[in-house]
Amino acid sequence: MNLMRRRLRTALTLCGVAVGIAAFVALVGFAKSFEAQWLKLYESAGTDLAVVDKTFLNTSVDGSAGDKLRALPQVASAVPMIMNLMDLTPEVNALVYGMPADSYELDPLIILQGRRFHAAAPEVMLGEILAENLGKHAGDSLEIQGASFRVVGVFRGGSALEAGAAIMPLRELQQLADLGAKVTAFHVRLRPALPGQSEEQRIQQARAAIEAALPGLKAVPARDRAHNNQVVALARSTAWGTSLIALLIGALGIANTMAMSVFERTREIGVLRALGWKRWRVMRLILLEAAFLGLVGGLLGLAGGWGALRVLALIPATAAIGQSSISWLHACEALLIAVLIGLVAGFLPAWRGARLSPVEALRCE
Amino acid sequence: MSECLLETRAVTKSFDDGRIQALRGVDLQVQAGEFVAISGPSGSGKSTLLQLLGGLDVPTSGEVLFQGVSLSNGFDLDAYRSRQVGFVFQSFHLLPTLRVLANVQIPMFETSLTARQREDKAAALLQEMGLGGRLRQLPNELSAGERQRVAIARSLANDPRILLADEPTGNLDSENSAMIMDLLTGIQTRHNMTLIVITHDPDIARSAQRDIRIRDGRIWSP
Repeated sequence: MNLMRRRLRTALTLCGVAVGIAAFVALVGFAKSFEAQWLKLYESAGTDLAVVDKTFLNTSVDGSAGDKLRALPQVASAVPMIMNLMDLTPEVNALVYGMPADSYELDPLIILQGRRFHAAAPEVMLGEILAENLGKHAGDSLEIQGASFRVVGVFRGGSALEAGAAIMPLRELQQLADLGAKVTAFHVRLRPALPGQSEEQRIQQARAAIEAALPGLKAVPARDRAHNNQVVALARSTAWGTSLIALLIGALGIANTMAMSVFERTREIGVLRALGWKRWRVMRLILLEAAFLGLVGGLLGLAGGWGALRVLALIPATAAIGQSSISWLHACEALLIAVLIGLVAGFLPAWRGARLSPVEALRCE
Repeated sequence: MSECLLETRAVTKSFDDGRIQALRGVDLQVQAGEFVAISGPSGSGKSTLLQLLGGLDVPTSGEVLFQGVSLSNGFDLDAYRSRQVGFVFQSFHLLPTLRVLANVQIPMFETSLTARQREDKAAALLQEMGLGGRLRQLPNELSAGERQRVAIARSLANDPRILLADEPTGNLDSENSAMIMDLLTGIQTRHNMTLIVITHDPDIARSAQRDIRIRDGRIWSP
């Protein structure tokens, strides 16, 4: 193997690729877990659609929209909700949800301590991880932005996002955040599909009916909302951005190694060309070496990324969201990216190597 | 009457934007099965002529013809070098990271032989060169004479019609030189190959059927 001639250089190149792929595996994997938790959040409650204004970060939907929604024949139930990221202590911030006390979304929660909150009372329920982080139990009091709340229950939710969240009566959160009658979204459960109606048709017809009844608002399917909401999109783009920078550094390492390798082997390439090897065969040889570097670096990075995910799964702050396993699809993506990086980075050196004149190359010392 | 296998017509070759004239109108005919030596002082243009005959380079003007067909204007020089020509270089040019058996197989990658066929053929050629016990060695584990024998085996890999040897004994002692020349002439005779050898050695030049002398880029008759 030509790459074994310069073992240190090859090892450093592999490290560069491995770091890039490990960053991709860990960060993008974590972002995917995050997205999966969002989906669980909707699926566990059986929400089909979320009715929002422009984006889900805007708490700007008028609370009166609920009546119009419930009047639609496709809608089985529609509950308002507010989602707000709040500082609960100087060290701990968390998602705080505001919901009516009779919201169907509270039904899947398992109450570990205490009870559910009552409507229009300064009460709050804490997810089990948040309660542990705050050191609070049912019966304790909790001050949120200057207002005193009684912790009435600790719950376990279907999604890790709930485990680190607090839930309080909708009206309390509206007052606390000075939102008036505005809500972030209405979560909608639809009636079952009519005979002969597909699931897709059920969703699409309901969306059309809702958007016609409430001009200016959007009805977004739960899966789309989990995939496209701004927090997930931000996590995803941050993960990809960071990974791409690391991958770029890895690619530059391969490009440098392959350029040096071609330079050092100019005479050998001349021999191959003199013995009748066509340009494409020389190019293929160099590209295969570059792809091999990418693949080995990718495998090392996969192991490193898996290790990083294991660590994230052990840290309390990220344990609920992080997964210590890597899906086959994600692993294949990582290896494909690693090989592609090798091929792209190796292309220019390969092209230059293939274009060498045999005579010039043989003359090279 | 034997076939004219290789021919040059008024071939010139210049380098460095014409400041160096390596060949100045060379006309040459080489017959099939002939053993030709090309001799001359250093810088006379003999290696340049060999490169043009072998399709490693193209003339600045004039033509090189193989079996009457010009090697310029779209001629597939890669295929020509792969199928019709075997090269033996002064400094062997073996690939240092490949074992002897793999080195001999290099030209065969441009053929339709299977991996097994390539390996068998390479082993047979090395056996013929007396290197049957060295198949798994790396080039740096061989003597200079053995390396040149590997290079000769490699040059025969695709059963070429022409064997071009550029100072094949230039890096060898007299004993190995004699052995290599015996090998080359033996191959030329057995396979009725055309052998063209560039040499400084008057004994080798004399042993050829024809000694073409070059001086200042021209064929010179003393």
